[in-house]
This record gives sequence, C-alpha cells and structure tokens, in this order.
Amino acid sequence: MPFGPVHPSLKEPEYFKLILEGERIVQVIPRIGYVHRGIERAAQERTWVKNIYLFERICGICSFAHSLGYTHAVEALTPFEVPKRARYIRVIVAELERIHSHLLWLGLLGHWAGFDTLFMWIWKDREHILDLEEAITGNRVHKSYSTFGGVRMDLPDGIAAKLKSEMKYIEKRVDYYESLVSTEETMTVRTRGVGRISQETARRLSPVGPLLRCTGIARDIRAEDPYAAYDEVVPRVQTSNDGDIASLLTIRLNEIRESCWMVSEAVERLPTGPYKVNIPRAVPRGESMFHVEAPRGELFYFVKSGGGSAPERVKIRTSTIANLLVATEMLKGHTLADVPVVLTGMDPCFGCMDRISILDVDKSREWTVGGEELRKYGIEYYKRSSE
Amino acid sequence: MSNEELANLATRLGGSLATRQKSVEITVSPDKVLQACMTVSSIPGLYHLTTITGLDLGEEIGLLYHFWQGRGFVVVRTAVPKANPKLQSISGPLPSATLYEAEIQDLLGVSFEGNPYLGKKLLLPDNYPAEAPPPLRKEADPDKIRKMMELE
Amino acid sequence: MANFRFGLTQWARKRSIWVFHVNAASCNGCDIEILAALTPRYDAERLGVELVPSPRHADVLLVTGTINPLMRDRLKTVYEQVPEPRHVVAIGACALGGGVYKDCYNAGRGIDAVIPVDLYIPGCPPRPEAVIYGILKLVTGSPPDTIEGEKAIVK
Repeated sequence: MPFGPVHPSLKEPEYFKLILEGERIVQVIPRIGYVHRGIERAAQERTWVKNIYLFERICGICSFAHSLGYTHAVEALTPFEVPKRARYIRVIVAELERIHSHLLWLGLLGHWAGFDTLFMWIWKDREHILDLEEAITGNRVHKSYSTFGGVRMDLPDGIAAKLKSEMKYIEKRVDYYESLVSTEETMTVRTRGVGRISQETARRLSPVGPLLRCTGIARDIRAEDPYAAYDEVVPRVQTSNDGDIASLLTIRLNEIRESCWMVSEAVERLPTGPYKVNIPRAVPRGESMFHVEAPRGELFYFVKSGGGSAPERVKIRTSTIANLLVATEMLKGHTLADVPVVLTGMDPCFGCMDRISILDVDKSREWTVGGEELRKYGIEYYKRSSE
Repeated sequence: MSNEELANLATRLGGSLATRQKSVEITVSPDKVLQACMTVSSIPGLYHLTTITGLDLGEEIGLLYHFWQGRGFVVVRTAVPKANPKLQSISGPLPSATLYEAEIQDLLGVSFEGNPYLGKKLLLPDNYPAEAPPPLRKEADPDKIRKMMELE
Repeated sequence: MANFRFGLTQWARKRSIWVFHVNAASCNGCDIEILAALTPRYDAERLGVELVPSPRHADVLLVTGTINPLMRDRLKTVYEQVPEPRHVVAIGACALGGGVYKDCYNAGRGIDAVIPVDLYIPGCPPRPEAVIYGILKLVTGSPPDTIEGEKAIVK
C-alpha cells in the first residue's frame, strides 16, 4: 500500500521496526545482530574445553543451559556415560537456573508494567537462588560447572538441607506473587487478553518453551527427550490455554513450583558415586545433535568433530530466535502502550528493548524510541484509560 | 513417521537414507529439498522445525534441515556448490524457516530464493566488508575482517 | 584521555549519582549484576545511586558489552547526550578489553576505543558489590583505575 515520504531517523541498529496504522501495529520487522559477536566462528579456533567458557557466555541468564547443551553434544560423540550422580547434580543446577531466570523475568515484567515494588521484592528473593548457585558452583552467573563427563566438582557438604529449605521458601513466595499478579490491576489489565496467539500460529511458526506451551501445546524437551536425570526426575509439563501474557505468567509461576519440587526430589534421591568420568581430550570424528530445555525453551547444539583439538563446526540455535517471529505476531493489532509487556512476554534478552524504530504510516513519520520511554508511555496510557 | 516410510520418501526423491544414533537422515539434491521438507513436516507431530544448519564442506556448502518429531530427529540433508550457492526457500509454506535461512544467507553466503531477507542483513552489520567472504566460510579470516571493519 | 572528577562538594550538594546504563552488545551477565546492585540485597539506592531513563539526565554512563560495529555509533550518540561533567564506567571483561570474544570477527576490544573511560570494573561479570565499590570510588574522587594487566594481554 502506498505511503508518503518518510523522514529517516538516525541510522541506528534497531531490534524491531514497528509499522503503525493509526494506533495499531500492523507489521513488525526484526533485525537482530546487535549482539552478534561471531561466536560460532571463534569456536573453531578454540579447544573443546575452552569452548565451554565461550558458549556459556552467549547469555548470562541461561548460561548453564548452554554449557549443558554443548557438553552433552560432545559427550554424545564419545562412548562414555556420564555417572548417575553427575546427572542428578546437573538437574539440580539446571532447575535452579530455571527458577532464577523465571524470577528475573517476573521482576522485569513488573518493572515494565509499572509495578516496581514487585520487581524489588522478586529480585531480593532471587538472591537466595544465586546464593545456592554460588555455594554449589562457585559463581553466581557464569558457573562453568558442567564439564565433559559430568560436573566440575561435587556438591558441598550440608547443601542438601539448605536446598530443601530454600525451595520451601521460594514456593511460599511464588504463592504470594501469584496472588499479587492475579489481583493487582496494574498487572491484570496489562496481561489478560494481551498478546494473544493461537495454536494455529504456534504450529506454523514453531516457537519453543513457555511461548509454545501457553497455546495449550504440551511440549517440553525434558519430558519428550529426557537428558541428564530427567528420565527419573520427570517434570510435569505446564501449559495454559489462553495464549496471552497472563497465560505466560501462570506457566512460568507453575514452572518455578515444579522446579522447586524437582530440586528437592533430586536432592532426596541423589545417588552416591563419582561426580564425573574422565574423557580423553581427543573427541572422535562425527556429528551430533543435542537439545535441552533452557528456561526460555528448546536450545539446540549441533557439533561436528573432525577428530582434532578444536571442533570443526558448532551450530547453536537459541530459544529467542525460535520465538522471534511469534513475538512479532503477538504485537500485531496492539498499540505502542502494550509493546513493553508483550515483548517481555517472550522473555527476550533484555538489551533488545533498547531501541525500537516506529514507522507511522498515516502520519508519514518515522522515529526511534528507547525502551524506557516506551515503558513510561505504557504506564501513562493505562493510568489514563483507567480514570 | 516410520523408518520404512522415510526410506520410501528417500527413494521417491532419488535420495538416500541413513540411520544414526539419534536421528534419521534423508539426503537429497537441492531441487528436492522443498518437497522433502513438506512431506516430512506434514506428518503429525513433525511440525517442529528445530533449525537449519549450514556447513562449509570445501567445494560445497552443506545444509541440514533438523525436524524434531517427538521421538527423534529427522534431518533433510543437501549440499549446494560454493560456486553457485542457490536453492529455493522453504519459508513460504514453512515460515518458521525464515530466520534460519536468513542466518545462513548472512554467515555462509547461500541464497534462498523467496526468503524475505534475501539481499538484506539479519545478523551482520551493514558495514560488513563486501570484499570479505561470509564469516563462516573456511576462506574467511576473522582478523582481516576485523581490520576491514576498523575493530582495531 | 579525559580525567574528570566529581568534586566532593559537588556530590555532597547533589547527594545522588544518576546513572544511565548502556548495553553495548553484552551477554546480559553484567547487566543483571548491575540491576541486582539496585535491588534490596545490595541497595545501591541508599547511597544515592539511581538509574535514570535517559542519558540527558545522567551523571555517569555505565557501559557493558563487546561493542560490536552495530553498537559503536549508538554508544557515541548516547555519550554525546550526557551533559558535562560526565563520567564513563566500563563494566566487565568485555567492556574492558573484549573479554572472551576479543578475537571474534564482530566484537571490539574495549569501549575505550570509542569513548573515553574514567573507571574500569573487571569481572565476568563483576559482583554487585564490585559495581557499587567502583561507582563510589569514582564519585569520591580517587583517580581512575586502569587494569594494566588485562590491557597488556589484549595489545
């Protein structure tokens, strides 16, 4: 359709280009690349072990999921079996990461919706999880804990009791947050019926993780293709049927609860034995594929070994790129006021909201806006409409 | 889809079948990829395209279309010559392939005809040097690329 | 390289340090530790540190990330929008010298190639305590810290 002269704004990288007609968004064009570093290429020039440190730094929030995906993919090329104890420990740390990631998300959602108190409370509680991660792995963010053949070190003495009591604490807090988000008008009005996607859209666009499950499709890699100890500590897959942001809230809250149960269960049934098996440095020739259920959804690793000291090819497909097209669908039909909450719904890396470019077709105007400005706009908009 | 059905598909398309630890692979020529992907994804439970992987194999660029079917991966495998790296996009009937193809366009220089990002960049910066080969190709030199983009 | 310093009297009068955070192609690890510094466990806000929504209100720019080509111009633009006297803090190994990506084809080698930096906070990521320590050190007037060791390796 024809539109008049457009005045180009500053030439800056924008994560999303929103095309508006009247008040409504009609099209969204993503252009990612602002965090593109060249990691897959760099991996070809690093040894197998060094790549663990590289890949976990793809994302600070699901860093352990990356190291799990990679170490499993490489282990699949060898004839070695990871000992049971290590598999259970991997589940414990992976679920702790899921809890921290979902809490982080929930706090940020509160922030974007204008509920900063929620953000502060949740991030305070999240520190409990980071303390546990630090006690087990030595670090809060990039843990470098999974290694070829198992985990880098065994669980510290006395951690079992601490894990169980902290999981009880988190479960109580989740109940409290759930009551808040389902009654506080700031949250309900901005999440119920907002960002709706259908099962049909999900089937067409192959999203992963909670974004897939909020349409009622019960798929989770931990249940479908169990790895580590998920064949013995089996998660109940959480779904919802409404396909909106409120559904995503429900699912993620329930996933936190489920993860708390899994951590306690894994601690209860923790097998004795070695925490790793030694795998020789030379990785046999071959190709392998591995996927894990990261907090945001399916994370996929393809590894090709030519028998050398460095991988010949590593291909990584993160959950965010799988969900990007669905996120653009979710935005259609909404106004600018809903953009922060809808985009946060897909749980993206949060730098993505930095710069959004808007093309207003009717007014022939193009401009860019920062995430914070949009956040304020959204809060004001909803305040005004409730008056 | 049973292995037998997949074997039949491979034969129909003039390709071959290989069974691996966690996957079954159908290898076909580039012009049969769209057909193979549509058949594979039309089987109930196989609507999930996990991703598309590109590989520099020297004279050719290998392409692997990974479909996850709930019990194992089904991979459609093909290769295009580096001298003429073109084939048809599957993003029309299978829109979830759009960004995966766009990534390979940027990083390996393959052209997926019909992909909305053809000729545009998804990942690479706009000032990526035109003289430099796509970064994941073996002939690409990261140091040279850095210098060309003045990344010190 | 710019060597501005907050005067103690200036800070005492203001009693607040307004910071604007820029993610220049980072993995978010540093960003979440910066945010964590503002949450109740570490509570940087009691020291007067406040996150502002626009560079035009900021005293201090906190920058994380590997500064890839797409972000360079944006960082320069943001820097120019910060009114003088302005200070820049580079946070995390990537912002210092490229971090674990220093030989990647699409990553820079430290943000001081793009804008002048007053203080470096090393870590991958630095803990929230380190972030607060660094900002306070900047504001109470001690000379900028340069991490000679890391820069030497990179060069």
